[in-house]
Amino acid sequence: MSRDTATESRATPAAESGLGDKGLSKGTVGVLGAVVIGVSCIAPAYTLTAALGPTVAEVGTQLPAIFLAGFLPMLLVALGYRELNSAMPDSGTSFTWATRAFGPWIGWMGGWGLIAATIIVLSNLAAVAVDFFYLLIAQLTGNDAIAELTRNLWVNIPTTLVFIAAACWISYRGMQTTKAFQYALVAFQLVVLTWFAVAAFSHVNNGTAFDPTPIALDWFNPMAVHSFGAFAAGVSLSIFIFWGWDVTLTMNEETTNPAKVPGRAATLTILIIMGIYMVISLAVISYAGIGETGLGAGNPENQESIFAVLAGPIMGPFAILMSLAILSSSAASLQSTLVSPARTILAMGYYKALPERFGKVSPRFMSPSTATITAGSAAAVFYVVTRLLSENALWDTITALGLMICFYYGVTALACVWYFRREAFDTVRGFFFKFLAPLVGGVILLVMFASTARDSMDPDYGSGSNIAGLGMVFILGMGVLVLGVAVMLYMRIRQPGFFKGETLKRML
Amino acid sequence: MRYLVGYTADARGAEAIALAAALGGPAAHLDIAMVLPEDTPFSATYPGSDHGYSSILADQVDAWAKEALNLVPAGPTARVVARAVSSPAAGLIAMAKETGARAIVLGGRKRHVAGFFVPGSVASSLLHASPFPVAMSTPGAVASLERAGGKLSRITAFVGTRPGARAVVQAAATAASNQELALRVVSLVAQDHATAGSAEAAGSIERTRAAAAAIVEELGLSAEITVASGTGIDDAIAELDWVDGEIAVVGSSRLARKRRLFLGTTAQRMLRTLPVPLVVVPKNHKPETARS
Repeated sequence: MSRDTATESRATPAAESGLGDKGLSKGTVGVLGAVVIGVSCIAPAYTLTAALGPTVAEVGTQLPAIFLAGFLPMLLVALGYRELNSAMPDSGTSFTWATRAFGPWIGWMGGWGLIAATIIVLSNLAAVAVDFFYLLIAQLTGNDAIAELTRNLWVNIPTTLVFIAAACWISYRGMQTTKAFQYALVAFQLVVLTWFAVAAFSHVNNGTAFDPTPIALDWFNPMAVHSFGAFAAGVSLSIFIFWGWDVTLTMNEETTNPAKVPGRAATLTILIIMGIYMVISLAVISYAGIGETGLGAGNPENQESIFAVLAGPIMGPFAILMSLAILSSSAASLQSTLVSPARTILAMGYYKALPERFGKVSPRFMSPSTATITAGSAAAVFYVVTRLLSENALWDTITALGLMICFYYGVTALACVWYFRREAFDTVRGFFFKFLAPLVGGVILLVMFASTARDSMDPDYGSGSNIAGLGMVFILGMGVLVLGVAVMLYMRIRQPGFFKGETLKRML
Repeated sequence: MRYLVGYTADARGAEAIALAAALGGPAAHLDIAMVLPEDTPFSATYPGSDHGYSSILADQVDAWAKEALNLVPAGPTARVVARAVSSPAAGLIAMAKETGARAIVLGGRKRHVAGFFVPGSVASSLLHASPFPVAMSTPGAVASLERAGGKLSRITAFVGTRPGARAVVQAAATAASNQELALRVVSLVAQDHATAGSAEAAGSIERTRAAAAAIVEELGLSAEITVASGTGIDDAIAELDWVDGEIAVVGSSRLARKRRLFLGTTAQRMLRTLPVPLVVVPKNHKPETARS
């Protein structure tokens, strides 16, 4: 008698859990909310400080052109993403999509690519947060020596590890960012970046700029980049600065009007982001030029973090706001980014593509437990290794990151083409979104990947660090991918079920 | 009689189910609640999408639900409710309201600070805000229940000399009569070293005993009355003897708002040292009378 009730509810707990519709967030986000989410995922203050220098090093004054060009493959791939997301809403990740389209081997590497890219960006985010943490303290106390502490490895590495551990702990506890916090963070970033640009232009006007460089029309012409290699490297870097934008497109039931909100929000987000990127890149080049000395944006000394160098001279005492904006946005991103690799590792453990213990969910916090700690530890190890091996770790990690994003976005885009290959030609809309856009986007990204990978073998590539004549970026990027192949082969031997299609079926 | 069990798929959750089953007896119905974090879009992960997490979590919750139902001993009926909530404590209170639960039952935490049991964060919030009685157990307390075959043997109500004692005795008496259990009313008297053993101390013990007896008489109950004294609360508690399968009932602090829980300092100390499960009753709580 008593067992009847039990058996009955045994079959239906999920029906009461509201998990099918992802909890209570249904229909709560309007256009403004979605734009805030999009901008916060992109974290423009962080991406600019991390990527602007390395991109200038590649393409010089054609920085605005490359930012514009870099958006194109991003847009094309994101359109494909949206189709995959609505076709397989439950499994939304490169790993499952690519496995279903291409089978276990490519699916496995797609998942690995995403994990590697996010692990790399985590180590970079933590490092940027630490740089600005010490800079902020220096600005608060008026003691410049504190800002230099970050160059001391004995201070830098432990602090970075503490930042990563804190993000890990927050993710593990399943703590979530609130709406008010996101609005404040995004508004603050946009205000400070605008302030920076206005201040830079007024220096140019007043003749107090470091190296006043008049804006020219060919800054917007991607054809003016001196070589294809530089162009490819620039694009693979600028993919990184739009990374996260696809979040707005893939939003669906959480919006107040799924038919209109995601499209409008994505458009508005990209207009805001593009506006900020254009204004900031014009401001930086007009003010500092691309020279390789002093404050010049081409100076290798300035590549790590352009705002750390320029905010002081440009914004004066208010440079402290820039430090605060970057510290807060990179620290917040550090935490939200950790969720991605943790969930993908969890999915791979769950489908037995990795040892099963990675599929563990914490019963108290309902968060991936082993996977979160693994992702955090991997980011920590990656950071320590790069910091010790490279003369300019941030520069090299950002370049290696561009490589990795091109790889897994490219694979996912082609997965989209292959997955929809039978239905894509049924309608004009389907042809464009399910076939043409992801195909072109995916091919562009994989070409960028191959070109950048080949060039990065040059020991002078990136910051110029090398091991036995091989460029550091190549070693980092390829090392991570080769490691992935090794782990994959090991898993094939130890736990062949996934590779035989027992846990996640390829859709033929 | 329905009980809301705050369940997590670990040893604590198992302890909570064991306690709820013992509290309710064979006629009880257990609503085993699993709370999930609310998925707010403003904590969007970067780069996008949920990475298949919600479907994996749903499968995992289903598996845990099965495990939970298997833990329920023969007798009570049970079902599992899983819900995404913004705060676990608030979610448990809301579910208790919806189901008409008599009490919220939590498992103990297998973490001890300096040898003492401390309630977890969810338990702490509940113990300071719940409009329902909250029952808690420690691993040791559950062991005592197990020795008694998972059945209650006696209910002990802790009363002070201040107002509010009556509601606690009433709540304990109702629970006792529902399952036909013995009732004991205990008053704790803490003395400092200087006065211990003096005539003054003996007088204070007598007054306390009289106050407790008055309440018992007023409610028309038959109960054993005990006054435990010692040089401090911990000492006084150590004087008490316990039988296997016993539970303790305490009231809320006078700081509590009406019909809300607020765990007072004395109760907090008791929570750490009691060898039996503890039920904390909200201020001005009016227990339902026994239903057949």
